[in-house]
Amino acid sequence: MAKHNEGYVSFDENGTLIKCTKTAEEAAEETRGGTAEAGSAAEDADADAEAVGAADARDDAAAIRVRGFRRSGFSPLDTVVSTFGDGVRGARVVVGEAGRAFSLFDPKQARQRKKARRDKRHARTRVAFFRFSHYDAAFKYFVEQVLDADFVALPPATKRTFDLGSRYSSDSVCAPFKHILGDYIEALELGADVLVQFAGPCRLGYYGELQQSILRDLGYEFDMLNFSTVTGKPAVDYIKICRAKVNPNVSVPHGARQLLATFKMIEALDEVNDFYLANAGFECEPGSFVRTRDRFFDAMRSCTCERDIVETRNAFLDEFRNLPVDKPAHPLRVGIVGEFFTAPDEHSNLQLERKLLDMGVEVHRTVSLTNRALHYNEKNLRASVSDYVTYDMGPTSSLTLAAALKYAQEDFDGVVHVKSSGCTPEIDCMTVLARIASDYRMPVLYLSYDSQTSDTGLDTRLEAFYDMLAMKKERG
Amino acid sequence: MQTRRMLTKGRLVPNFFSAPYADVRVVGIPRALLFHRYGALWTTFFEALGRSVVISEPTTKDTIAAGTALSTDESCLASKIFLGHVDELRKRCDAVFVPCYNNEGARRAFCTKFQAAPDVVANTFCDPPLRVLSCLVSETADKQDARQAFLSLAMKLGAMPKQAKRAWRAAACAQQEAEKAACARTKATFDAVRRAEEAGEAPLTILLAAHPYLSYDPSIGGTIADMLRGLGASVVLACENDRKKTLAASFDFSETMPWVVNREIIGAITLLHDAVDGIVLVSAFPCGPDSMTDDAIVRCIQGKPILNLTVDAQSGTAGLETRVESFVDILRYQKRGGYIHGKA
Repeated sequence: MAKHNEGYVSFDENGTLIKCTKTAEEAAEETRGGTAEAGSAAEDADADAEAVGAADARDDAAAIRVRGFRRSGFSPLDTVVSTFGDGVRGARVVVGEAGRAFSLFDPKQARQRKKARRDKRHARTRVAFFRFSHYDAAFKYFVEQVLDADFVALPPATKRTFDLGSRYSSDSVCAPFKHILGDYIEALELGADVLVQFAGPCRLGYYGELQQSILRDLGYEFDMLNFSTVTGKPAVDYIKICRAKVNPNVSVPHGARQLLATFKMIEALDEVNDFYLANAGFECEPGSFVRTRDRFFDAMRSCTCERDIVETRNAFLDEFRNLPVDKPAHPLRVGIVGEFFTAPDEHSNLQLERKLLDMGVEVHRTVSLTNRALHYNEKNLRASVSDYVTYDMGPTSSLTLAAALKYAQEDFDGVVHVKSSGCTPEIDCMTVLARIASDYRMPVLYLSYDSQTSDTGLDTRLEAFYDMLAMKKERG
Repeated sequence: MQTRRMLTKGRLVPNFFSAPYADVRVVGIPRALLFHRYGALWTTFFEALGRSVVISEPTTKDTIAAGTALSTDESCLASKIFLGHVDELRKRCDAVFVPCYNNEGARRAFCTKFQAAPDVVANTFCDPPLRVLSCLVSETADKQDARQAFLSLAMKLGAMPKQAKRAWRAAACAQQEAEKAACARTKATFDAVRRAEEAGEAPLTILLAAHPYLSYDPSIGGTIADMLRGLGASVVLACENDRKKTLAASFDFSETMPWVVNREIIGAITLLHDAVDGIVLVSAFPCGPDSMTDDAIVRCIQGKPILNLTVDAQSGTAGLETRVESFVDILRYQKRGGYIHGKA
């Protein structure tokens, strides 16, 4: 039987108004707690309801409640006064659940009734995000808990994904666009109704519209929840667009709370991943870190509330800390900086982190959803690199430069700058990075990814970089 | 602040800290990027403040070579040329003016190239350090429009508030005049075309849709415009139209496009779509905004032949000529009624 936690108003056969705030099960339980007679009545009611089926669960629940009360000799409209005699003055009316005054025309309840009606008209939408690093758990949580819709989980990306994406996009557009377009095509093949696209201050801001146009030209039917259309507008517009595209019954208080939980999940994902990056290069048992991280992501995918998230995070952080590692006193430390999509996304950067970890390097990466989207304070970051730049140079430029400078000041052995080919803001950063590198005598490896970047070429460059860093460290 | 006011009897007098650029007498402006859009504003502004302005020479092969040597390999051609111009200027002036244009409001942003330009220049020419005169135009995040930006710049140059405002007024007027003149040029071209049509000729009108820094640069867009004119076509520049109107028209084309210059170009295309015979899109390699908007234009603007040209530092003009010639030939044939039904 469907479970509903909301209150609602219903009428019984005689047209008497009944107000219920509990589910049928709870109602039945309540009555069971009373007399034996009432208990059997509730069981009858349950059986009745099951016979009717779960389709009109709400109405059933009301009917059960009515019948349950009737047989137990207690009518839902009975007050304390009528039950315990007329002599009691100033007694409180206990209709439905205590705590609120009873009203015939409670606007809130009327609204909820309306919603309940609307619910039947709308099929649940199937929402898909693009693949982005390890954030699919957070995307899933956002879709299921905040938007209250079905999430279309995508299998790991393959070569086909990127081939599809690059086939249908302009040649000179940046690589993330192609990756995301490929993801969308695969999501639509899996039956997604709504695709979600972010807003951003560079080309990303125009991704959604162009991708929508391309996919429509390809003949797909879908809707796009494009946050670019509401950038800079008040929160009401965000709610409106979610209601229009995904679920007309999105609850604002519930959604807001779950949105905070989503942020918490993103932070947890990044926190655990940072620990992984710093230590996985020194694991005693090969593969133990990857396996634990995979289990962690799986556990995160099945979280349904904030408590789950925090508990999972704590449990897995403990587990990670207990994994045996053999870490030298002064390991080779490499920082990854760069463009927002390519640097964190393992598939786009051809497993760059994995390759570095396999060489036994402590990897740090500042650019993540947490640091760029949730805790991004551009002015503070820029203040830390004020020796080099005066203005905000682009969407992630301040983060890139501040992180690189921090790594340089903390005596990291090297920095890898990752970007997709043609990423304008990061290209401009390279001028400044080169200056930081020469001032602090810190090697920087510039990697630029496009559709032709080969795995072997990357291996060669990384190995050479590693050798250089190791020799530099040995010489001291 | 208090003591200074007391010393100057309540008047604000610029000092070393409030006006670090007071000693700049000669301001250098590179003839690249946004100069082609706001040149009149900038020159008049500095001249109104009593500075002499040096503008770099038009782009040559040497400028491109110098710029390419100075910049990151992957930078776009326009920014390489820009650095070439700065390089040429830096010996001839006290400070180079490189403004930071971020946006003129929501969905009226500039490419991040313009945002990063001052810092890129400062970091490229760091030894010996080059004095970079700059101001920040960013209406969304910093709530600072062009007027405020230039007023604060005038303060840094040691101007009094009144002088600064006067200079801004003069500059804004000059800019308006320049824009009007540009619109008049477009109108004159269309008038000439109409007269020719009345005289019984069949003139070709081609819309050159490119960023101003390409359209006006003799070494890139200039050659393409000359080629088209040499083939007997009338060329209308997309950037020589009423900016307000084109910007407003672009919102019918796209809701979320972030870049103001691309918006104006697209607005011009949709407004002039019926008045021209063909459209030539020119972009510098590898242009970020154009990589997306060109795709959108080719996808959504139907009914007029579009030639999409990408220029880079290596391009010889021969390949360009072939493509432009064949495009004009196609347009001519079409105008006569096509290959099969026409009398060609």
